Amino acid sequence: MNPSGGEHSVQANDFHDSVRPGLVAMLPRLKRFADVLAGGREEGRGLLSRALQYMMAEQHLYQRGTALDVWAFTEVYRQWRHELSGHADPMAQAKVDDAHFGELFLLEDDGYRDEPVIAFLVGLPPQQRLTLLLVYGDGFEHEDAARILDVPPETIAARLVRMSAALTDRLSERPAAQAASIVETLYPEGHRASP
Amino acid sequence: MTELSDELLVAYVDGQLARKQTRAIDKVLEQDDVLDARVTALKHAHARLEAAFEAILAGEEAEISEVALPPREDGFWVPWRTFKIAAASVGIVAALALAALGYGWPLSLPGLGSASQIEMSVTPEPPARP
Repeated sequence: MNPSGGEHSVQANDFHDSVRPGLVAMLPRLKRFADVLAGGREEGRGLLSRALQYMMAEQHLYQRGTALDVWAFTEVYRQWRHELSGHADPMAQAKVDDAHFGELFLLEDDGYRDEPVIAFLVGLPPQQRLTLLLVYGDGFEHEDAARILDVPPETIAARLVRMSAALTDRLSERPAAQAASIVETLYPEGHRASP
Repeated sequence: MTELSDELLVAYVDGQLARKQTRAIDKVLEQDDVLDARVTALKHAHARLEAAFEAILAGEEAEISEVALPPREDGFWVPWRTFKIAAASVGIVAALALAALGYGWPLSLPGLGSASQIEMSVTPEPPARP
């Protein structure tokens, strides 16, 4: 028997034992991510439940050196894409119900809800909504947001510029920016079919 | 008026520029009211986005704590901190035990959604993914 191998195995077990409490601690953030991605509380709950089930079964895939939140967010996004890929019309499937999405935003104490911002978010493709959430909601660096959404960091930066300009113009009542004319697919840029 | 692209201004607002570039834009903004107003508007839009996302997170935390903390019954009292620690510990341990036994994640526990919804949304085996 190799004692160092046994010790290594114990360390590996300890390492993977840390995955569960880590996931529990970030449940609210993961649930928000799933809700914003799927477009509602019920839809997000189902998505997150299935993604967590996969993560717990395949936690050995989590590698030392990777931030746990980056890994977990990536797996939720992958789960969503995996499920969409089984539909005949993934783009239609990815559309969100305005009412369900609006219910995600808790009313503040004074009953205020930022309807212009909610209307802006509901009109965005899922990947663009998630880019805003990851960077401005969760505070991820561009590189980590890019890893989660499986796109180059330059794509994250470009999306942020387009959406920031579009939202700013909308809130300032300036003429609409050209962001809406840019079409995004459900798949990473590198996987697009050539025209 | 100085011409600066939104690309540069958003990177500036997000703190993505090198220190030298940031200082150069600081100087331009001191001289140019139009650009300064644009930067202020971008910051305002970002602040409203952050607040909107915070509002969602507040809802998630409330929803999860409702599941973890059962309502207190009259006639039985324990210190609040002790109760919170005990309830959270029991909830987490029970959830992980159920997850390990294949009964799904805590979000699929009774009380968070109807049984029929849970059955519809949770697959019996972890989904195979490439």
